[in-house]
Amino acid sequence: MPRMYVLGVPENEGFLDVAEQDARLTIDSVGPYFRISSAGPILIDRRATGCRHAVWYSAVAGLENAIITQHDKDALRVESR
Amino acid sequence: MSHDRPDQAKPVHRVRGVDHAAFPTFDPNATVRFYRDILRFPVVHSICAAGWGPERHPDFVHFFFDIGNGDRLAFFYYFGWQPAGDQTAPGDAWARLPHDTPQFFKNSRHIALNVADEEDLLEYRRRLDESEWPVEMQVMHETIESIYTHDPNGYMLEITRQLRPVTPQEDLDAQLTIAALCDVTAGEAPSMDKLLARKAELIVERAAAWEIEQPGWCDDERELI
Repeated sequence: MPRMYVLGVPENEGFLDVAEQDARLTIDSVGPYFRISSAGPILIDRRATGCRHAVWYSAVAGLENAIITQHDKDALRVESR
Repeated sequence: MSHDRPDQAKPVHRVRGVDHAAFPTFDPNATVRFYRDILRFPVVHSICAAGWGPERHPDFVHFFFDIGNGDRLAFFYYFGWQPAGDQTAPGDAWARLPHDTPQFFKNSRHIALNVADEEDLLEYRRRLDESEWPVEMQVMHETIESIYTHDPNGYMLEITRQLRPVTPQEDLDAQLTIAALCDVTAGEAPSMDKLLARKAELIVERAAAWEIEQPGWCDDERELI
């Protein structure tokens, strides 16, 4: 099960909104971080997040049993390691 | 003075910002024009020294500009001293790098000055844009907005404003990032992938306990954004 962490700051709100709307993803919190877990790959559409360049490319705080297989102007894809 | 009583003990962290950061210049005229006349940083101090001690040392002038908050940016001009290296190569007055050095590396060494708000940032943008050293980039980063140019010596100067105050959770995040960075760079083949995996371990170990220790924390305030 891939898991990733995102820090709870205002700039990451759009990212977390998109994750929250995806029924395949589970979100809980660990201290000030949000932990996104999934049975399959975690796929976040960049445009849907509304994140600007700098925020988009620094949104991932941690990876647990997971590896980033795509992180570009279109999407972030995190899969099982 | 002794500090025997615990309630009078000085804090561990005692420094108070930048006294001065110093750089060599081979063009004091342009340097003064850029900092004093264009940016309007007051000249606040200078030293004219005939050599320095018994070593072979050129005569020099060390001069300082006020960069706010009591902090200063300083330059050395050494009489008769010539810049080293291929002056067409990437670099600045202090050093030149190989010709194929990418811009990101050259620009990684820079100085960033802080302004209070957007109005002030745009005022410095205006001053620079009307000069020989116009703004090269204006960038909205994660939590700051910055303008950039290179001074007459090739040093990259950033002027930046905070978009919001830094939060305590960002300080925690920085501490975990740096702990993870030190761990992975002490090992074989450091990478961002390894850093993020190590950082996730540190988040699990420390983040929940950190939150409980925060002033005013209570369990129903978990929604942070």
